[in-house]
Amino acid sequence: MDCLEFRRRLGAEPHSRASDFLAHRDICAGCAAAWQQAQSFERDLLGALQIDVPAGLVDRVLLAQATAERRHGARRRRVAFALAASLLLAIGIGGYAWHRVDATSLPALAVAHMPNEYATLALAQPISAQAIEAGFAGRGLALAGPVPTDVTYVHDCPVGPYKTVHLVSRVDGMSVAVLYVPDKMLSKQRDFHRGDWRGRLVPLARGTLVMLTDRTGAPPFDAVARDWRMAIDGVGAEQTAQADAVASEVWRLAP
Amino acid sequence: MRAAAPVSAGVSPRQRQFDALARAHSTDLYRFAYWLCGQQALAQDLVQETLLRAWKSLDSLKDAAAAKPWLLTILRREHARLYERKRLDVVELDAGHEVAEDGAWASPERHGDAAELREAMSKLPHKYREPLLLQVLGGMSCEEIAAELGQQPGAVMTQLFRARQKLKSMLQGDRPEVQLGLP
Repeated sequence: MDCLEFRRRLGAEPHSRASDFLAHRDICAGCAAAWQQAQSFERDLLGALQIDVPAGLVDRVLLAQATAERRHGARRRRVAFALAASLLLAIGIGGYAWHRVDATSLPALAVAHMPNEYATLALAQPISAQAIEAGFAGRGLALAGPVPTDVTYVHDCPVGPYKTVHLVSRVDGMSVAVLYVPDKMLSKQRDFHRGDWRGRLVPLARGTLVMLTDRTGAPPFDAVARDWRMAIDGVGAEQTAQADAVASEVWRLAP
Repeated sequence: MRAAAPVSAGVSPRQRQFDALARAHSTDLYRFAYWLCGQQALAQDLVQETLLRAWKSLDSLKDAAAAKPWLLTILRREHARLYERKRLDVVELDAGHEVAEDGAWASPERHGDAAELREAMSKLPHKYREPLLLQVLGGMSCEEIAAELGQQPGAVMTQLFRARQKLKSMLQGDRPEVQLGLP
């Protein structure tokens, strides 16, 4: 490094610790003197720039920050409260709407019908095939297949908006309430559980079969459904019934 | 009777970090702001805006050693934003205007070397004053200043050299006998 380069560096970076810069200073008396003067000037410059800072500046800044933060915190809390209130309201409205919809579902209507008909589940004496056919005829329906045996009750009952044929089938001593709902079409079979009642919805060719029982033990829904499918839809419906039984099993085992 | 819990007990670590940051750097920030804009009140506003913005993005500060250049960057941006908004003329200080007479100058040194240096500094064009402030007050190297200003290190070295030359020239103009050791 020569004197010219040293002076340029000194003017730009007087505090440089570069080795070539310091080495030149140490061997050149003129540049060493200039370096000393530059250091003195830098001290003066730094001292001159260090003006007095207004008293309490940092405290005022911290106060402004804390105040703004509290204001934002209050606003955040208000927004959070409004969101929570909106969420609760939405849950409430949703729950009410769901309850309204659920109350008019076929399982809910069928279960609601049962207290008035509960005694029919205790009937043990089979009724005649003619009585059963007469029960269907009351709804303008004709059976297409063999009438199931061990049927202890038949009546045309209104269930909500539906005009049903209410039957009771007994299988191995267990009574199952059966509601046939003409013209109510379902896309697939479905089991349900409401209170003490276990039930199954089974789509038939021109209506829906609802089976219910509150008795303990495995409900004989498959057997009851097969019998009534054959009776209502006809003899050839048995294969479909078996397929539905498999579907029902898959449905029950599904997570 | 139970002793009262220290006030800091319920303060979040983020708030404590900000308090420490503000207390450690507000002085340097104020001086930098003052020499940037030349007005006490505006310099205080700049410090406050800078620290409030720092609070909002405090999580982006990973290294305590980087705090000062980080704050200076925020301050420079705030100053530029104010300049755009209020059309502040940051170069006016060297354009023949009367240097502000406010509290910052009201010291016994007013008539000494420090006062002359301050006056000369206030008249230094902005393009020389800013890199010089970043170096002297900010403690930045040429490379760091170049990165901060978006310039080449060589250009920054030239500006720093000329800044000192101009200061020397102004001071020698006032008092020819002053020898400052500048090249």
